[in-house]
Amino acid sequence: MITPNLSWVLLLPMLGLGFVCLVPSDKTSLIRRISNVAVLVPFILSVWIFAAYDHAAGGFQFIQNIPWVVPLGISYHLGVDGINSLLLLLMGAASFAAVLVSASIKERVKEYYILLLVTIIGTYGAFLSLDIFFFYFFHEVAAVPVFLMIAIWGSERREFAAMKLTLFLTAGAAIALIGLLALYLATGVQTFDLIVIQQQLANHPLPMTLQNWIFPLIVVGFGITLTLWPFYTWAPVGYAEAPTAISMLHSGVLKKMGAYAIIRFAIQLMPQAAHTWMPIIAGLAIVNIIYCGLVALTQRDLKYILGYSSCSHMGYILLGLACFNTIGLNGVVFLMFAHGIMTALAFALTGFVVDQTKTRHLDELGGLLKCMPFIGTCFMMAALASAGIPGFANFVSEVLVLLGAWDQYRWLTVLAVFGLVITAIYLLKAIRLGFQGPLNPKFAGLADAQTLSAKFPYVMLLALLILVGCLPSIILTHIGSSTKTIVESMR
Amino acid sequence: MFPVIDWNLISLEVLISITLVFLVAVDIALPKNADKDWVGIFSFMALFGLIIFWATQANLNGVTFSGMFVMDSLAWFFKGFFLIAMVFVFAMTQEFFKSLGERRNEFYLLLWLALIGMCLIASSADFLLMFIAIEILTISLYVMTAYLKSDKLSIEAGMKYLILGALASGFFLYGISFLYGAAHSTHFDVIQGYCQTHAMAPMTLFALVLIFAAVGFKIAAVPFHMWVADVYQGAPTPVTALLSVGSKAAGFIVLIRLFFGIFGAWHGQWGLALAVLSAITMTYGNLVAMFQTNIKRLLGYSSISHAGFLLMGAAAGSALGASGINFYLLGYLFTNLAAFLVIIVFSIATQSDEIADYAGLSKRSSLLACTMFLALVSLAGMPPLAGFFGKFTLLMAVIKSGYVWLALIAGVNIVISLYYYLMVVKRIYVDSPRATSPIAVPPVMQWLLGLAIIGIIVIGIFQGPFLDAAMAAVNGMYLSHL
Repeated sequence: MITPNLSWVLLLPMLGLGFVCLVPSDKTSLIRRISNVAVLVPFILSVWIFAAYDHAAGGFQFIQNIPWVVPLGISYHLGVDGINSLLLLLMGAASFAAVLVSASIKERVKEYYILLLVTIIGTYGAFLSLDIFFFYFFHEVAAVPVFLMIAIWGSERREFAAMKLTLFLTAGAAIALIGLLALYLATGVQTFDLIVIQQQLANHPLPMTLQNWIFPLIVVGFGITLTLWPFYTWAPVGYAEAPTAISMLHSGVLKKMGAYAIIRFAIQLMPQAAHTWMPIIAGLAIVNIIYCGLVALTQRDLKYILGYSSCSHMGYILLGLACFNTIGLNGVVFLMFAHGIMTALAFALTGFVVDQTKTRHLDELGGLLKCMPFIGTCFMMAALASAGIPGFANFVSEVLVLLGAWDQYRWLTVLAVFGLVITAIYLLKAIRLGFQGPLNPKFAGLADAQTLSAKFPYVMLLALLILVGCLPSIILTHIGSSTKTIVESMR
Repeated sequence: MFPVIDWNLISLEVLISITLVFLVAVDIALPKNADKDWVGIFSFMALFGLIIFWATQANLNGVTFSGMFVMDSLAWFFKGFFLIAMVFVFAMTQEFFKSLGERRNEFYLLLWLALIGMCLIASSADFLLMFIAIEILTISLYVMTAYLKSDKLSIEAGMKYLILGALASGFFLYGISFLYGAAHSTHFDVIQGYCQTHAMAPMTLFALVLIFAAVGFKIAAVPFHMWVADVYQGAPTPVTALLSVGSKAAGFIVLIRLFFGIFGAWHGQWGLALAVLSAITMTYGNLVAMFQTNIKRLLGYSSISHAGFLLMGAAAGSALGASGINFYLLGYLFTNLAAFLVIIVFSIATQSDEIADYAGLSKRSSLLACTMFLALVSLAGMPPLAGFFGKFTLLMAVIKSGYVWLALIAGVNIVISLYYYLMVVKRIYVDSPRATSPIAVPPVMQWLLGLAIIGIIVIGIFQGPFLDAAMAAVNGMYLSHL
């Protein structure tokens, strides 16, 4: 049987990037076509990888390992397990949707697609890497283009938003890097290879004195990416001002790199410190859920509501990470996927609305369902998914997280459930003000998404949400095969 | 008895000197107002020949001139570094001084002289030769800094550089004299032997501080940085480029030779002091850089902060730290020269170095904008560019040596520096241009910009071979104490 070659997931967008660089900048339709293909093929590959992953066997599969910087023990080491094969699928779907909705970009098209492709390569690379150095490397590759994309193609406060987002994320990355380097030096095996480090630390855990300061560096550093309270403030403004594709990718996928890193490098490698520190993180997670939810309630700007909602939902991921049991961790990975798809869909739809109406202020919108029934319906579905209505993927994941948390943090779990009510309130408010009621006469002539190709990205994401929501086992078996080993290592 | 001299070891310096003499002859023989830039053309050809010659010297090892001159892996590494830097600086000179006509030829000669100085610094095994070599470099830099006779800023820069540089030379000599008093020699091997057998005494501590002050002047470390901003701004831009890359690297090779070699036995005493200086230097450079409006001043302060980052490697006092310094400098070479190439092309076209005038550069020349973007982001230390891995290795080195606080301060500084670099990037890519006329890039400059970009990206992605070279340079070092 042919097994997928993981490097192609990186090489094909790179190839596309090279072609886009060579095409003259006035041939915009050619640039779009190349970029679409360069993102579609990795998506197909990621589906294949996900399907081909043998969850019965578990562990890391399709491994590729090329020594890169031998003296420091850095290797180009790719491989997938149940967790990152799923995140790869998330990235594939979200990036393909993002590149499709980018058709609305009309200015400086070539630069736009070059930067978008670099971001996509970086994100894929981070999820594929089994080498801590290369994870960090790719994670940062994805960071810089985002600055330019927000600053050039964003809305009014774009320069402020771009700078704030980039500086926060870089600060987080720098803190995390120091933690990772300290971890590397402390293991004594002179390698950044995650698998080797896992084995080494499973047999010889680090002394608690070391774990106790390395762990918080990594968790806070990557926690900033994951909008851990109180370091979340970059996110709402960043997402609000960013162009649609970046809002989708960043809130959908890029910030999940933070959760992924915390699972892989903090919790799994330093389980003893996790028991000390994660209860504190769980407390902060509840603040995330409640506080950001309440702030979302007060917003009148559609993209800010989604931004705060995204921060609020990261609380569930953080809470699940603090559970130390399989159910909770399964919920976390499931939620990373479900929230990623849902939020990408919501931002894509909002982007469509803003493109048409030139406003995202709820007081100026209204009755959009009458002129855009398709977009409006999709938005309502996305909102229902986000509020945790059964039938959508988010419901399954949130239930898993809450079940996992129940034994450990009873009162916090009660508060977390309350967060879902808040979500329902602000999203229903957004629908009532934006999509229902009398149609603002200004918008009477606006068109819905009409052609099949225009509807495709939304339909695809929505279909994924419903499919996974109705048949959770298709991804739960994958997740379960890998979380089991992590949870065992924590005991 | 006349000592036996191994001319093979010193052949590169001899060839450079012959080239210099030959070019002087060409300059004299040429008619005035010759329409071709013969000195420049010969210089280029000679440089490429020398680079090939340098490549054949890879495994040359030995000491000659009665232990004054050493050829080892470290010297070899840095000589290659200086030769590559010079390729860029010569091309910059050719463009920048087009209007100067005849006087440009003398400038080339001064550059050759500076190159001899830098190569000799890399090969010194004795304080006297090191002092002379530093003076050869510095005096030619004084002249070049004040070369624009009609430009007040250039004269002022030359004056400031001269006065402070003379002071630094004085410190250096004074320090050497104290060391001589203690060890009764200026030979590195004798002094190293002395340091290994004696504890640090007040007299030697005094000598060490004085010598570090002189080196600190060269690398622009706080508190010996006062000259940097004015000199960087006032000097002709090719000189600024040479100062920021060549002169700084020359300072660091001295630092490596002294602090990883002959004073290595006293690491316990000076490690913490260097760590503190490193933290102060990078923080000061970055904080002040945030408020600059002139691109050359901005890069001046940023070069102070880079000196701070590089000092982390010296503070670490390990082989990893020294290799980190070498690697960092290699990335810094291409990155900073790329930035200065852009500045030169831009200033020839617009007569301005103000950051405000860079607004909308991306619409006027996408090549310049792209190069500047890559250079600035690489300076900030973002992958996949050359600057990242240098910072990565140095951070690793200091954490390994136990200075986690220094690593955290460096982390904060990475964020600060990213802020002001991105402000320039924002101007280039986001703001609307003040003038819309496209900027033409001369063909030679296009090639060099391309070379610099390739350097930045290749070093950033394929770090292995370059790190190996940086480590080999340290491992084969003469009188190494690692």
